[in-house]
Parts: sequence; structure tokens; C-alpha cells
Amino acid sequence: MTTELVDRKIYEREELATGTDAVAHAVRLADVDVFSAYPIRPYTGVMDRLAKFIADGKFDSEYIIADGEHSQFEIAKHASSVGARAFAGSSGTGWLYATEALAATATDRLPLVALVGNRALDDPGAFGVEHNDAMLVRDLGWLIVWASTAQEALDTTLIAYRVAEDPSVMMPCAVAIDGGYLTHSQHIVKIPTKEAVQKFLPPYNLGTRRMHPDNPVSIAPQINEDWGMEIRRQNWEAARRARGVIYRAYKEYNEVFHSSYANPFFEEFMMEDAEIALIGMGTVTSAAKAAVKLLREKGVKVGYVKLRWFRPFPAEELRESLSEVRAVGVIDRDFAHGGPDDGGVLFNDVRAALYHSSNRPQIVDFIGGLAGREISIEDVARMVRITANHKGEGELVTWIRVREGNGAGMERKGGD
Amino acid sequence: MSGSSRGTKSEAVSTAEMEKSVLRLEVNYRGIFQKSLAYRITNDLVYAAHSEGKTAFSNGRYSDDPQRNGVPCANFAFFSDALSEDDLEAVASASMDIDRANVVVVLDDTMVKGLEPWGHYGIRPINEKVIPGGTLLIVSRRKPEELIRHLEKKTFDYNIAILPGDQSFAGLWYYRDDATDVRTIAAVARVAPEIVGIHSVEEYVKKKYNDAAKVKSLQEAYDSVVVREVKQSEGIAWPHSKPKLPSWDSFDEGIVVKSVERGFTLGPRGQNRNPNFKRGTSKTQRPVIRFDTCIKCTLCWYDCPDECFDPTADGLYDVNYEYCTGCGRCAQVCPVDDCIVMVDDLNFEDNSSPWEMYKRDAEGYVKWLEEKKGKVRFMPSPVTGKGVRHTEIKAAVPFKQDGGN
Amino acid sequence: MAQGWRGKEAIEMATTTGVSKEEFKNAKLYKSVHGIDMEEFYTSGHRTCQGCESALVMRDFVKASGPRTVVTGATGCMYVANTSYMTTPWVVPWMHTQLGGGGASAVGMAAGLRALMRKGKIPDEKINVINFSGDLGGGDMGLGGISGALQTDYDMLIIIYDNESAANTDIQATNMTPWGAQTTFTPTGSKKRIMHDKWKKNVAPMLAIGHPNCKYVATACATFPPMDYMNKVKKALSIGGPTLIHTMDPCPKGWDYHPRYSGDLGQLAIKTGIFPLYEIIKGEVNYTYDARKTKRVPVREYLEKQGRFSHFIEDDFEFVQSRVDEMWNDWEIPGVAPIKGWLSVRR
Repeated sequence: MTTELVDRKIYEREELATGTDAVAHAVRLADVDVFSAYPIRPYTGVMDRLAKFIADGKFDSEYIIADGEHSQFEIAKHASSVGARAFAGSSGTGWLYATEALAATATDRLPLVALVGNRALDDPGAFGVEHNDAMLVRDLGWLIVWASTAQEALDTTLIAYRVAEDPSVMMPCAVAIDGGYLTHSQHIVKIPTKEAVQKFLPPYNLGTRRMHPDNPVSIAPQINEDWGMEIRRQNWEAARRARGVIYRAYKEYNEVFHSSYANPFFEEFMMEDAEIALIGMGTVTSAAKAAVKLLREKGVKVGYVKLRWFRPFPAEELRESLSEVRAVGVIDRDFAHGGPDDGGVLFNDVRAALYHSSNRPQIVDFIGGLAGREISIEDVARMVRITANHKGEGELVTWIRVREGNGAGMERKGGD
Repeated sequence: MSGSSRGTKSEAVSTAEMEKSVLRLEVNYRGIFQKSLAYRITNDLVYAAHSEGKTAFSNGRYSDDPQRNGVPCANFAFFSDALSEDDLEAVASASMDIDRANVVVVLDDTMVKGLEPWGHYGIRPINEKVIPGGTLLIVSRRKPEELIRHLEKKTFDYNIAILPGDQSFAGLWYYRDDATDVRTIAAVARVAPEIVGIHSVEEYVKKKYNDAAKVKSLQEAYDSVVVREVKQSEGIAWPHSKPKLPSWDSFDEGIVVKSVERGFTLGPRGQNRNPNFKRGTSKTQRPVIRFDTCIKCTLCWYDCPDECFDPTADGLYDVNYEYCTGCGRCAQVCPVDDCIVMVDDLNFEDNSSPWEMYKRDAEGYVKWLEEKKGKVRFMPSPVTGKGVRHTEIKAAVPFKQDGGN
Repeated sequence: MAQGWRGKEAIEMATTTGVSKEEFKNAKLYKSVHGIDMEEFYTSGHRTCQGCESALVMRDFVKASGPRTVVTGATGCMYVANTSYMTTPWVVPWMHTQLGGGGASAVGMAAGLRALMRKGKIPDEKINVINFSGDLGGGDMGLGGISGALQTDYDMLIIIYDNESAANTDIQATNMTPWGAQTTFTPTGSKKRIMHDKWKKNVAPMLAIGHPNCKYVATACATFPPMDYMNKVKKALSIGGPTLIHTMDPCPKGWDYHPRYSGDLGQLAIKTGIFPLYEIIKGEVNYTYDARKTKRVPVREYLEKQGRFSHFIEDDFEFVQSRVDEMWNDWEIPGVAPIKGWLSVRR
């Protein structure tokens, strides 16, 4: 593999960067006006880096160290309300502490972009990745996108501002990256030039909703039963419109940065003629791709779908992508105890999307990688075997790499 | 079953048959002051009807909460001698408000001037929900004709009933029992025995209170109710329109409302105000001002929590009654004897500018005003439920020829 | 008709109050009630209670602040009652913030405006940033956020409007509810007469003492003495940095009195000394109504005018009086620092 030459018109340089460094660069390049910080592992790196940018005079932004995540996100929300581009972020239980502000940011239709460095929720305290934190806002009117490489984290953050601030969308967007993995491992990342970013990302314009004496408005007066349905409907429509805007944003991004994002919602890996497909989000992608490649060499017709956009959920595109496969295995780095068929969050969303598929494939779920546990190439290969051999009856969920007790086999009957 | 066939069939259901046995009652009252009273009335009616074997339940209009002093509120009670609890709930109470009532009770007669319980509702007539042949039952010292002249003209005949009595104001923690609760229930039994009979009411009150005075009050009330038919020709063309609620795609996204446009000039209505929510229907009394004795101290304007005084070029303060809630703070702070006095709002026809009237004919205004005021002054005790002190003045303060200039 | 002592004295105070120190020479303080700006920036048409003092807190801060102001209101009466959707009484920009979001909302706006001005995205000018939070939002849930805000260097004013209960949820006790008051959380009963046995949390001094960036903290009552509150708003906005005003708002609904007496009760709260009136300017306490120099009105006159104390017996009146006496007689800095009251240095 050869190192790609950096186009100096588009990229200022390459840097060995963590996922949080990459996002910090995007925030700096987006000319964010206000960001607020509060420490919690593993997202904190982004704030550390932004603080250093400020200290070194490389970034012109208001920087507020908040007294807690609730304040942190209220600060960002209200900065956004005066027309300032804002950034915040959190992880795990910190993100949950901000939940009230997160919900109101969405209903206020303020296009804040936030980084979620995915982290397991307390108790017990744990630093490792789980997707439940970001997923908490999945029904609240947030856009949620997962990045799985440092470069993608940078690109996605810029795209997130473009989509969130589109006048037809105006919704906040969470950029999620796997804590411990992507937040902390370092990869070579191409850092765009400010000029190129300006070409891609128009200035934030809140229009007639801006809180300013020249634009006197009242935002969010109390409603009664005469208004809630219509207001919720407006938000529902905006989330639907976001799908089209996401397509446009990636097309524009590809044009400016000569990047090659095909379907913006997910990346299809070896999906041509695949009979078996796995689908997952985040850094599990590396292991998944490696396993798929190895299995393809053995003649197994398997592919992998790396989902990026979780909200809005690309149901129609997934039905299309999975229309020819006979079985689908979903990798959930989350839990939804007691949910339908005891599956994870992603499993049930994918399954709901495939319900209306003309050729409805078998679908099973894998819960793994919780609280930072690894998912290996062998684990993914095992998932492919289980998916391929599952009859679609009985238990649909397999826990991956969990210590089973009392001699109960790790392998399900029929799994091999 | 496919969605479409199921949809078309279920939409065709009719509730007319169920509707036949349903009786609805609405109690209009002033927020907080009369909350306990209103709940006593609807609760006791439900108990009494239940004792007759009827199905009955009650609720308060949810959007009234949190209640604000003076803001019109409503309680509802529903009765049926045929339906189950579930069916009655489904037929009568599927919405947060009701659209019709057999009996509309009014605990403060100044509400006949209309109600605006929430922003963007417009001022609605108190008899809006009365059905043909139904009854508007008002606690009042007035004659029916004095009240009918404020009511909306209906397209059918209905009844007005007067239960003689004063507005019963208690507060939140302190409840003053002046028997208005049992008197009102008795009056309901009188005008709508199909809801509950007087015998059941008596039995219920005896059992609940074991108080001969209460029972006596209700019997007296039953006998004192005056009922009169209101012909469809009576009343006024309602001057206030009902705002139309927009569809979801015809108002701005982002829960944004344009501020009141900045605007101020000296003189009547010189201050821009919230055009879509006027608070005037909150008042029971209005402040009337002797501009001729005013010393221009500013305190009425300064102390007004509803911003309804308009400074004028001559240093006086006009009052905009459309927005005045009748709290009485101006009367309390005014340092001049008998200069600002709270007077029953029903004594007045409209909300026009008193200052303009004064400027047209100062002496005529004062004479007119003193007639409206009468000789009796009302001073509420600080703790709301502890009553009102009435004092009679000997004579009005004489007109001051060059006052207010 | 005014009660004897009320009207004349009020006018007198109105024409004599007006401390104009050198440091506030740019604050354009009101010197007479006749000089108060007539235009309203919070205007008629709000669903507040008859006689609501908190509505006057709104009206007066924005009158003192003027049209170049942006406001956030934390959840509470002054949110829910003031703005019924599709209508608003605000002339200046106003936005809701969450119950505990008051301090942070002001920081967010101030930071956003500063950044946009510095970067030339909007014209550079002084825009007043004000948040109001109630006693539940500001004094309890949002205390941490206000503390955080007072640690910044942004120009903004936070007003804790204190009606001594969660009035918007129909009167529940907060930590700012006075000792003994009835609320729905602290009803009087046959076994326990006094359910609320906590003394009122002393929020303003706590915030003043702990936040070195905060140059101005004041207590106030919207209507008494006339202009005092508005001038405190002007002082706070002119001194720079984060500032705080804690207002005492008689509440006819929750305190259970006739709305016409709101002004009288505010005045009594100050004259009985139960609510000390002062400002702390760069660490200096300045009593704006010095209850040490004036003969204090017995607290009974204040308490017995309110239905929420209608269950009080003689012992209760005496107890409250004794605590108020202690505050004025024994504290190191009466009303502010309870060094000799209940906090002292161990020897």
C-alpha cells in the first residue's frame, strides 16, 4: 500500500492523530464560535486539544469550562441560539447527565454538533466502549452518526455541521466514536485547509430565529394540547428531510475533498453477490472487514455493512442493500434488556427495516464488545457461521466472548 | 385485515345512541380563589348522582393548571343513567375541553363578559357550550336581564338561572365555608333534576356534613333560584372572533414566536401589547380613577404588574381595561383618598379609555364615575378567605375644577 | 385607598432614594420615579396571577436594561405563565431555558455574542444578557450552574426571583420557603403543625462570598423602595462581569393573600427585617434599607397577613421573631454573614 500524496490545495498536512484529535481539527476548521468542556473519559481528548489550540492562538473561539454536563450543553445550546456555531461533547454517564439539555436542544431545533466518545454507563464505573450512551438520544430529534476511523471522524464532523445547519434540517447532530479504540488510538489523518473547508461548509445562519436585539423573538413559549402535535410533526418532517440533505452533503464533500464516500449512510464491503451479511457500527468494522476478506478467500459469500448514520435510519437503503442476502447478522455493541426477542438496539432497528423487504432474510443478533471488550476477527468469523446456519427459530441472540458458566458451551447448538 | 378496509369501517361509527343518556355540567370559576369551591361542587354532584345509581365522574380542565389568580378555569362533571364508566368516559371526555354542556355553572357573574383562559384562544362567550334547552346557572346579585345583555346571541332558546349570592372567594390554604358549595348543588338539582334530585342532594349533604345550617342553606338556595328562558333573539352578536389554529406546515419551525413589536407613544393605547392574549377577562372589579384628584405620583403605573397604565402627555395615567386583571394594586398604592377605587366590572359597558372620557368632559366623567362607584367601598382582608369589609362613605370627594392639569 | 403609612412614605422614598457612587456614574441611575423610562419591553398580556410581584420583577429589569437586551427564563412561573404559545408579552428577545439551566444559558448567550462580535460576524455593541430563575430553579436545582456562571468573566446578570415556593407546580416547598409555611409538600396536619422546619437558605451571600469574579450581588424587592430594584439592575449591568440579584417576590397565590396587597407584603418583608436588603459591591456590603437603624416592624404583622401561616400559634410567631432578631443583633454582618449567628470560630 502506498502513501497517498496530499493535495496541498485541500490538505494542509498529515498528522498522527487520535479520533478526538481529528474531531478537534474539524471543530477548529469549522470556525466554531463557542465550545464548552467538562471532563469525562474518553471523549475529553477533544477538549484537551481544543484548549491547546486556544492557548497557542491557533483557534479563535470562546471556551468555557462548565460546572457539569448539564450546564455544558445548556451553554452550547444557548450559544447556538444567538447564532454562534457551537460544539460540546461527552461520554457515557456524562452524556446522560446532560440529557435534559440534549432533549431541549433538539426540540429548539438548534444545530449543535457534539462528540460522543462512547462509554459504558455506570454502574459499575467503566471506561470501555458501549453504544448505549449515544443511543439514548435516538428518539429525541438528534441526528446520530458513527465514525470508525480517525479520518472519518474528521470528515464526519464537518459533514455533521453541514447537515445539521441546513435550513431544511436544523437538528443537532451527535458524532459517535468508540471510546478507548478510536478515541485513543493514533492514525495518520489528512488535515484539510481552512479554505477547502470554507468551500464546503457555509457559515451558520439561524435566520429569523436568532436571539439578538435586532431580531426580537420569543423561543419556546409554553404550549398546551393545541400545539404539541403540530410541533412534533414539524420535527418529524425535518428528520425525514435530513436524509436528502445527507446525500447532498456527501456529494459536495466528495467534490471538494476528492474523497470517495459512496452511499453516505453506510459503507458496503464485499456485498456484491453476498449471501450472508453482517452489519455493525464503529470500530468493529476493522475486524469485520478482515474476517469477511478471509472468509471470501475460502469461498464464503459474505459481506459487511458498516452503518454510519443511525438517525435518520436508512431503512430503504438497507432493504435495497440486503435484498439479495439470505441471512443477516447484526453486531450490537449495546444492550436493550427485555426488548423484542431480547435483541440489541441495532438488531431491532434493522429487523424493523427488513420487515417490509420483498425477500425477507433470516436475521440474528450478536451482543458483544460491551464495556470495552474486544471483538476479534475470529469472533466475527464465528458470527458469520452462526448467521449462515441459523434456522431463524428459537434464540436469536448470541453473546460474543462472554464467560459462560457451568460447562454450558459457548457455541450454540448448530452454530458450527 | 388490511389497514384500509379497517379504517373506512371504523370511521363510520356513530356515538348518537350512547350520547342520549349523557349529561354534561361545566363549572366556570376564578383560578385558585375558587378552586377548592369548584372541586367541592363537582365532587359532591358526582357523589350525589352516584347515590342515585348513576354513572358519574368529574375532572378539571388540565390546561388551566397551573392556575393563576383570577384566570378563568373550568371543572367538568359527567352523568349517565345508562352507560358504563368506560363508555361515559369515552363519549364525554375524550378531549381536554368539552364543547357542550347541559348546565353551565358560573361562580363569578363577571365572567358573563367572556373568558380567555389561555393565549391565542380569543375571548369566548360564557354561554358558548350551553345546548338548546340547557341552563346557564349564575351565582349573582343581578337580575337576569343585567347579565343577558353581555351574553352571545344563540341560535336557539335556553335558560338562565340565577342563584342569589356573592362571588365566593377563598384562597389556597384557607377555605371559607359560606355554603356556596351546597347552595350551588341545590341549584343544579333545581335546574337539572335529571342530573341529580334534590332529595339525593339533601341526603348526601346531611351525611357528609352533619350540619343543620348547611342543609338549611341548600333548601333556601333551592327555593331562591330564579329561572328564565332566554330567547334566541336575546343577547349580543359576539364581538370577538375565535383564532384559527394553523396546520403544522403553516407556522414557523423551531417554536419561535415574533416578539411584541416595539412601540410606545404617550396617550391611550400608546404602548404596544401582546395582541393575542388579553388578560381583561380575569377581573371581577376594575380600578376607576378620579383624574381630577390625581397627584401624578406614578405609583399606580409603577406598581401595576400587568403594564396596563398608559402615561399621557398631561402626566396622568390612563388605564387599558382590556389588559387590566383587576388585582387592585393600583388602588392599594394610591396615596390619594378615594382616587383609585375598585368597582364591580359589571357596572361597565366597555373598555374604552377613561382618560379620553375625562378629557372630553371632566365634570361629566366624575359624575358618571361616582354613580358607578356608589357609596359602598370594598376592602378585602389580607388573607383571601377571610372576607371583605364594606364601608359606606358619606359623600363623594367633590369635583376638582382644575385637577389633573 | 392607601393604608396610612404606605403611600406617603413610598413617595418620599421614591424621591430621595438614589445612591450615585462614582463607580456607577455610567449606570444612568433613576433619581426620581418620574424619570423612569415609560416604554415597556415586557408588556401586557401574560398569564400571571393578579397582583403578581414576579411579573414586576420581569417588567422592571428589562425596563432598566433597555431594548438592547437578550433574556432567558428558566422553567417556573415566569416561564409558563408569561408565554402561552403563539403569543408573548416580550418585546426583547426571550428564550426558555431548563429549570437548572439559568446560569449556563446566560453564559452561552454571552459567550456566543462575544465570539460573534470579536470575529466581526455581528456589530460590536453592548448587549445586556440576563437570565431569570426562580427559587426552585436558581436557588436549588440551578445553584451549581449559577456558581459556574459567576466564575466566568462574561457580562451578564442572573436574577433569582424568589416567591418562596415552587409556585408553578401549585406551591411546593423549596429550600427558600420560609420556616413554617404551608405548601402542598408541607401541609399542616393534626399531628404535625409545622412540616417545613427548615430556615430559608441564604443564597445571595453564599454566592457573593464564594465567587471572586462576581463584583455585584444584591437583594431587592421589585416595588419597595421604589426604583431600588431597577437601580440595582442598572448597577449590576454597568459594573461588568457576572452579577446576581435576588428578589423577594410576594406571591398572592402561594402565600394566600388578596392580590392587592403584594406591595404591602414586600414592604413588610423588608421593614420587619425578615428579608434584608443590601448590595455587595466588590466585597463591600451596603444596606439599602438598614433595619438596624430603623425600628423593625414585628414579624407578626407580616406573617398574619398570609394564609400560608394561618396555622401559626403564639410560639411560632415568637420563634420567627427570635431568629430575625438574632440575624440583626448577633450576626457579624447582619443578613449576610452569620459569623456570630450560628457560625463561629472555635477558640
